Parts: sequence; structure tokens; C-alpha cells
Amino acid sequence: MIRLLRFLSWRHLKRHCLRTSLTFLGIVLGVAVIVAIAIVNRTLVSSFQHTIELIAGKAVLQVSNGESGVREEIYPVIRDTPGVKDAAPAVEGFLPVVGFKGERLFVYGVDFLADFSVREHQFVGKPFDLDGALDFIARPDSIALTESLSRRLGLPMGAQIILATSRGARSYTVRALLKEQGTAKVFGGSFALMDLPVAQIAFGKEGKLDILDLTIEEGHNVEEVKSRIQQRLQGAAQVERPRQRGEQVESLLTSFRVGLFFVSLIALFVGFFLIYNTVSVSVVQRRREIGTLRCLGMMRRTILQFVVLEALILSFLASVAGVFCGALLAEGALLSVGQSVSNLFLQIDLAKSTLTLSELLLAFASGLGVSLLAALYPAWEATRVTPLESYRQTAWSPRSQRVFRATVLGVILLLFSPLLLFISPPGLGEVGKFTVGVAAMLVFLLGLSSLSPLFILAWIKLLRQCLSRLPFLSWNEERLACDGLSRSPIRAGITIATLIISLAAIFTIAAFVHSVRGSLLSWVDQMVTADLIVSSGARTAGPMNVPLREDLVPGIKALPGVQVLDLYRLIRSTYKGRPILIESFSARASAGVRTLPMAEGNGTEALQQMAAGEGVIVSESFRSKFGKRPGDTVELPTPSGLARFKVLGVYIDYSSDSGSVLIDRSLYKKIWHDELVDAFDLWLAPGADQEAVIRKIKQDYGDKYQLFVSTHRELRDAVVNIMEQSFVVNYAVEIIAVIVAIFSVINTLLASVLDRTREIGVLRAIGATQGQVRRMVVVEAGWIGFLGGILGLIAGTVMSYHHVVYNTKVLTGWTFQYYYPTGFAFLCLILSVALCLLAGYIPARQAASNPIVGAIGYE
Amino acid sequence: MIRLINVHKIYQQGRNKITALAGLSLDIQKGEFAAVMGPSGSGKSTLLHLIGGLDRPTEGQVLVDGRIISQMVDDEATLFRRTRIGFVFQFFNLLPTLAAVENVMLPLILDGRSGSESNLRAKTLLERVGLEGRRDHLPEELSGGEMQRLAIARALAFNPPILLADEPTGNLDSKNGAAVLELLRQINTEQRCTVVMVTHNQEAAGYGDRIVHLRDGMIEEENPR
Repeated sequence: MIRLLRFLSWRHLKRHCLRTSLTFLGIVLGVAVIVAIAIVNRTLVSSFQHTIELIAGKAVLQVSNGESGVREEIYPVIRDTPGVKDAAPAVEGFLPVVGFKGERLFVYGVDFLADFSVREHQFVGKPFDLDGALDFIARPDSIALTESLSRRLGLPMGAQIILATSRGARSYTVRALLKEQGTAKVFGGSFALMDLPVAQIAFGKEGKLDILDLTIEEGHNVEEVKSRIQQRLQGAAQVERPRQRGEQVESLLTSFRVGLFFVSLIALFVGFFLIYNTVSVSVVQRRREIGTLRCLGMMRRTILQFVVLEALILSFLASVAGVFCGALLAEGALLSVGQSVSNLFLQIDLAKSTLTLSELLLAFASGLGVSLLAALYPAWEATRVTPLESYRQTAWSPRSQRVFRATVLGVILLLFSPLLLFISPPGLGEVGKFTVGVAAMLVFLLGLSSLSPLFILAWIKLLRQCLSRLPFLSWNEERLACDGLSRSPIRAGITIATLIISLAAIFTIAAFVHSVRGSLLSWVDQMVTADLIVSSGARTAGPMNVPLREDLVPGIKALPGVQVLDLYRLIRSTYKGRPILIESFSARASAGVRTLPMAEGNGTEALQQMAAGEGVIVSESFRSKFGKRPGDTVELPTPSGLARFKVLGVYIDYSSDSGSVLIDRSLYKKIWHDELVDAFDLWLAPGADQEAVIRKIKQDYGDKYQLFVSTHRELRDAVVNIMEQSFVVNYAVEIIAVIVAIFSVINTLLASVLDRTREIGVLRAIGATQGQVRRMVVVEAGWIGFLGGILGLIAGTVMSYHHVVYNTKVLTGWTFQYYYPTGFAFLCLILSVALCLLAGYIPARQAASNPIVGAIGYE
Repeated sequence: MIRLINVHKIYQQGRNKITALAGLSLDIQKGEFAAVMGPSGSGKSTLLHLIGGLDRPTEGQVLVDGRIISQMVDDEATLFRRTRIGFVFQFFNLLPTLAAVENVMLPLILDGRSGSESNLRAKTLLERVGLEGRRDHLPEELSGGEMQRLAIARALAFNPPILLADEPTGNLDSKNGAAVLELLRQINTEQRCTVVMVTHNQEAAGYGDRIVHLRDGMIEEENPR
């Protein structure tokens, strides 16, 4: 077999060097995308786990309650639980460094006398003994920086560092330098230690703890100790192993990661078709050769093995190259994805991307697996080639029976695709339902692609009728082009199917992004009606934001022109062990100016009831994930213990797909013991000078609180920026899919024209000029592009609608409005035709300029 | 050596039935050189396909070398064809990417013979057909006559007892055509190889021991030379 491959395949591939290279590059890109996204997804997960494990130190159990925090009074209760050896309380968070743009410190506030039992902090210079610790604690502006950070910012021992805290900019003195070991390694060394009370003040978390790290007495069972602690906590916090905490954080990213995976699947699907096309075209082109081999005694199974092995060897080599390209691509993708995750979910300390055995296996499994799948049918077709093919002198033209078979297959697949959604097993999770939804989409796509030969014949019939009605124009080349297409609808169908699949995939991603953007902007317009939004640390409330205290309220309220001031708070919490968001604002204060986009229930009534403290409003994602509807009750873990709330309505909220609960600020403050503010929403009086208000706020508080004062438009732009950034990887994959599609189309058109050298030679012999032949081939390619473009857009429209309305809904619980990207649709059509004209022109020129005698005798 | 008993071959083309062979019976003896002639559509090529096991009769039996080739399953017929029948085509059907020697080696490689053995045999065969100096040339670098001689060398790879030639001179000038026919005749006499040759050319048919005339799928007349 090896010798046969060397004899037949290698020479064939070498002879068709351009097509081989295009296929090779196509597989390389497909595998590269798969590998890159696998690396990105794994690195995201391992980064969170790694950070949590580094910070956890020797802790076996951790008590926490998201950003709701744990009341300090609980500390002695937990510490004194039988089986607990040491308990180290801490608060944690990010604080921007004033004067250093973009610099953010992960500040860990610990009890220096208790923390060393759980974590080993290594200090530079003399050992940090009890005296050292007491000296550090005694001065309330002490901070310990890592050695690398101190070097990078030029802040040696004794230097002052100003941080933007919840009380505004505060100055701290560097009193110790940490070696970058253990916990201090997190976030690339942008780490600082503070004494617990100092950090609590900086974060505005007085009387609260973020976490309690626990070690267990020897001989005690961890699970037993855990359950004892759970009893004592009475729902006021959760106790978990550090790994479980990591998993909880991971679950935040599920949709994000599945979304990325979906995008890589599209690249793989386009790659699948590229390989299918290449092998199909190669089989079609080599029918006579295969017929001869059959005459010479080659068995059917040898042909099957031969064709499949040829594809596998090419994909193996391409997969090897794909792995390297994927690793490089991952480096770039991680930067962008890391930024998105930090903006949308949590600050992430990205680990360095590495290539593991699992990604290597994935690369080869996807590269070889897809090639095997793609090559099987054409290989089976090759085994059906009879030895009589060796007698054929003209290009092979499949019988109409094949068009019928393709049509039947197409209709079956089209009918089956929606059925898939109904016959999927009940009880599937979000990811399972999403997978079925994607599978239905791909089956639909295959179905429509299988109908391309039928569409060609129908289109040609229509076109001929149209051409005959315009007798005053010379349409000779166009008629010849139509003849070419109608004679071999299967061959042209392969090219059109490639276009349909590529365009549909690209259009689906584009329409999805367009719909997300449209829905998000419409939501921002309804949800955020304030004229000005004042925040610290970042323009939008979220992980980059620094919550402030209410100290600013009187000053801002008194500003001339400010009519209504409301305070917005956003924290991360959990419900039934899964991460959720808690949002709060004062429904009463903003009653006349705020609207709430609702998915279920009356918004005005729900807000009134919320203002009266009668319950909470949950988001669509919350309803979808936990099945809670108006009238139900939810039990939320608060620092005061488990609190029950009635669900008053369901609102549309795109802040988080893990689910959000909206509660009135007064009730929130009472139960959560939290007076922090993430954003001050300002509504100005009619005719008020907006610029003057902004100037005044910046002048009075800007420097001290590191404020961002955003107009409604600026906030909208910030939201769009964050969204656009989270789709950077999608765009990159889309570009790759376009490149693979271009390769595929050039590949099939090139093969199609080369296949007909003899036929073109005959045309030349009977009097067709070179120009006419060129025009005929180019027009044919143009029709292919046009038809492929139209069908691709039809498929893309159906698929994108399904993806936006169904797939996204089952995965995230979000309902997005479907926005049709009309401009992009036109661009797709134009590109499709232009690409085919271009791809057809090169072989057309070659075919037209071939010597006639040579072309007629062409083998 | 070759026996066809009441062989019918009917092709279905859309709704029409086309009868290629209509109850043809024929015996060709071992070592015989039979030329088959007839107008287009008389069933000449179909006859050759059936003898070579490339196709099956609709009715009747085809016996080749004592075996009923028309009843063999595909793999059996393929293996039989590989070693017992050599094919020579009008358009040569050489693999354009393979050098002359590799084209000859191909059937041997398909049979799993070693590279050195195949190479040695191919060289001998190239010498036999007078192409020893062209062994590393690609088919496109050879003349029509050379290509057909190369195709004959390939057909002889296993020294088959039967050689089937479909218009072997149809694509050649008279000089090259004569050389090819001489070669076929030589193989027939020296190796006692049974040759069945389909041709339109009366002169070419003259090389055969017997000329079988076909018309409408039946034998019209047989002329011993």
C-alpha cells in the first residue's frame, strides 16, 4: 500500500500542487482553530483553579459568600468548630494604582497573626517575625508589595503608593517586600498584602470578610468538619474545598467557553467540506485512472483504503502543522479572551498557554477524524467505479440518477433537522440542548447543500427562458455557460455546496453578533435611562469597577441640574451553589425616570412592589436556569443568613447569563449590610447643562475617587466595546473560515475547468475564440457564485435565526431580538460572485490558451 | 480457452433497451489470434468487456481459461483479471504521473510483489517491446506508438495467457500501427498467448488467425485467415 501511495498519490498530489497546497492549508487552519480554542478554554479554567489554589495555600476548606461577604462575627464561631485547626480571615479585591495607567493591584487583606498558619509569605531581607508583623500592623498605612512590582513601579521600601479605594485615593507606605512565591505569584506579581482592618476600610467592607481559609486538625474527617461548619453557618455562607470554589467560578464561563467551541466547530465543519470536496474532485478526476487500475486488477477494498489513506496522510501532515499554528494562535487569542473575561466575569490571572497531550490528541482526532469522515463517501464512490471507466474519453458526467439521489437525501435531511429538536432526550442540560440545536442546524445545512444540483437545474431552466426573451442581445457565452452547468449539476453542485456551507457559517456568526449588538443596545437604552453614570475604576459596573461609599451622595445630589440620583450596586453571589448576580437600585428614588424591560409580568407594578420591599425581580437567565417564575420564592444566601424573597416578575438582563436577581436598595442594604455603590445614576433636570455637571463632578471628586463620568452615549459605546472585544476570537475564526472557503471554491472551480480541457478544446476547434471560451468559463463561475451566494444566504438566514432565537436561549436563557445584517448579506453575495469570477478567471485563461490539438488529445 | 454460450447483453438507457449482444456463441482456442470486426454498435467492445470480466452478460455464460468468469464475484474476477488477462486500450490508459517503468510495474505492485522483483520484470518487458531506452520517461514524453508498446508491456506483466486489445491501432499512424500489430502477433506466436483484438481496420484484422464479423450483436460471419 505504501508503495502504491508513493506511486499514485504522491505523483497525483505533486501534479496538482496548487490544489494540494490549498487543501493542506485549509486543514492546517481548521486544526489550528480547534487547537487554539481548546488551549484557550483549558487555560481559562486552569488559570482560575491555579489562582484559587495559590491563594488558598494550605487551606483545606474555605468559607465564603461571593461578594455578599461573611460577617466578622462568624469568624470565632468557625474557628472554634471542633476539627478546625487554624482559620485565617481575609478580604480581597482589585484596587487601581493612582498615577500608573492601567495598573491594578490584587490586594489581599489578612490577619498577620493568623495567616502564616495557612499561607507562607516569604519576605525579602530580614525574616518577618512577630516584631516585624506587629510593627507592620501598628501603622495603618502599611502595605507589602512584591519585589517585582516594586521594581516595575519604582516603589522601594518606604515609598508611597496611592490606591483608588472605596473612600477615594489613599496613600500607603511600602513597609515590606514579598518574594514572588506562593500566593504572591498571582496576577503576575501585581499583588499586595495589607493588614485586615486596613484592607476592609480600603474595600469598604468594614465588619465583613470575603473568605475564611481553614486547616483541619489531624485525624478529623474533612467532610464531617465541613458539615459541622455548614450547620453553624445556617446559610449565611458556603463552606467548600478550594477546588469546588474553582469549579463554581468555572461554571460562570460555561456559556462563554461553549460559544468559543461552537465557533471552532464551524471552522472544522467548513474544513470538513474542503476535504470532502478535494477528495470528491480527486475521485471524479481520476475515474478513468481508477477504471484502468480496476482493469489491471486493483480490488475495490484496495481502492477504498488507497483513497482514504491518501486523505489521512495529507491531513496528518496538515494536523502537525495545525498544532504549531494553533499554539501560536492561542497566544494571541488568550490575550483577547483574557481581557474579555476580566471585563465580563472576573479578573483573571492568565497562565501561560501550553500545549498538552489532550490538545495534541484533539488536533489529530479532529484533523484525521474529519478527514476520514469526509473521505469515506467519495472513497466509497471510487470503489463503485467500474473498469469500464477506463474506456471513457470524455470528462465524467454523473447520471441524472445521482441528482435524484442527492435531492432525496437533501429533502430527508431538511425534514429531519427540525425533528431533531423534538426527539432529543428529555432532561438534557443547557449545553446538551445547545448541542442538539447546533446539530439540527448542521443537518439543515447539509440538507440544503444536497439540493444544490436540483437548484442548478431549476436555475438554468429559468435563466434559459429569460435569455430567450432577450433575443436582441448576444448571449452565446452565457448559453454555453448554462449548458456547462446543466450537463454536470453534481460537479457544479459540489462548488455551490461549498459556498453555501461557508457563507451560511460566516453569515450565522455575523448575524448573531449583529443581533447581540442590537439587543444589547436596545436593552441599555431601556435599562439605563440615566443621563450621567458616575463610577470608579471602570466605566461599566463589573469586575473592573471599584465600589464607592455613599459619601458622595449629598455632594452630587446638591449639584445644580441634578434632578434624580439613584445608587446602583452589583455583586456576585450564589444560588443553590451556582454563581448569580445580585443587582440593586432604589426603585422609589428612580420611580419616575427608570424603566425595566420585562420578559414576564408588568414592569411598573413589579418595581412598585419591589420598592415596597415585597420581593425581588429575577432575570430571564435565572428563570431558565432555576425555573423560578413570578409568585415563586427564592432563598438567597446573605450575610444575615438565608433570606426568602417572593419573585415579582422576570426582567430582561444581559449582565450575566448565570442569572441575576434585582432587589430594592433599601432592602439590600438592610439584609446584606452593604452600603457600597458601583454606579451613581443621575437624571438631569430639563434644560440642565450636562457638560457643566460633568465638569463639576470631575472637579470636586474626579481625582480623589478616580471617577469616570459617562454620558448615556459613552456608556453605550463602552458596552459595545466590551461586546466587540468578546467577539474578537469569533471574528478571527470567521476570517479563517472565509480563507478556508476561498481555498475550497478555488479548488473545486480549478478542478472543474481542468476536467473539461478536452471539451473546451473541442469548442475552440469548432470556432470559439479564446475570449469566448474565457467568458464562458468565467460566466459559469459567476453563476455558481451567484447561486451559491443566494442559497448560502438563505441557509445563513435560517441558521442564524435559529441560533439567535433557540440555541442562545437554551444555553444562556437570554432572549435576543433577531436583527438581520442586510449590509453584510449584500456584501456576502457580492463577495461570493466576485470570488467565483476570480477563481474562474485563472483556469479560464489557462483553458482558453491551451493549444487546441493538445486539448483535444488531453488525457 | 474462451467460450461464450448464448450470450445476451442488454443495456437499459432511460426507457429504452439497447441490445448489444443477442445470443452470441463463440469459441476461441488457446493460442489463437482472433480479430473481431463490425460496424459501430455491433457489440465488439461489449464482447471484449464480457471476456475480460469488466461487465456481466444479461443472459448466457462466458468461460475463460476453463472458468465461468460471468459468475465470478467482483474480487474473484479482479484477481483473475490481474494475472490471467492483459488489456490493451485504444487510448493507452497509461498513468500520466508514472514513468514508463513504473507503469509496467504497477500490476505487479498491486499484486504485492517486491519493488526489486517488479522493477526487474518491468525492465525485461520494456526490452521486449523495445523501450529500454525510454524507461524513465513519462507517457507524455513518448510517441503514440511508444505509448501503445508500453501499454502492451504492462499487459504482459504477469505473462497472461489471454491478451484483449480494443482498437490497439485506432490512435496510431500506419507505421506505428503495423509495429504494434507485429508485436501482438509475436507475443501470440512466441508465448502461445490467446489474443482477441477488436478493430475497425481490415488490414489490422489481417494479422489475426480468424476474423469474426459482428452485426447487431450477433456473429455475421467468420473467416479463417
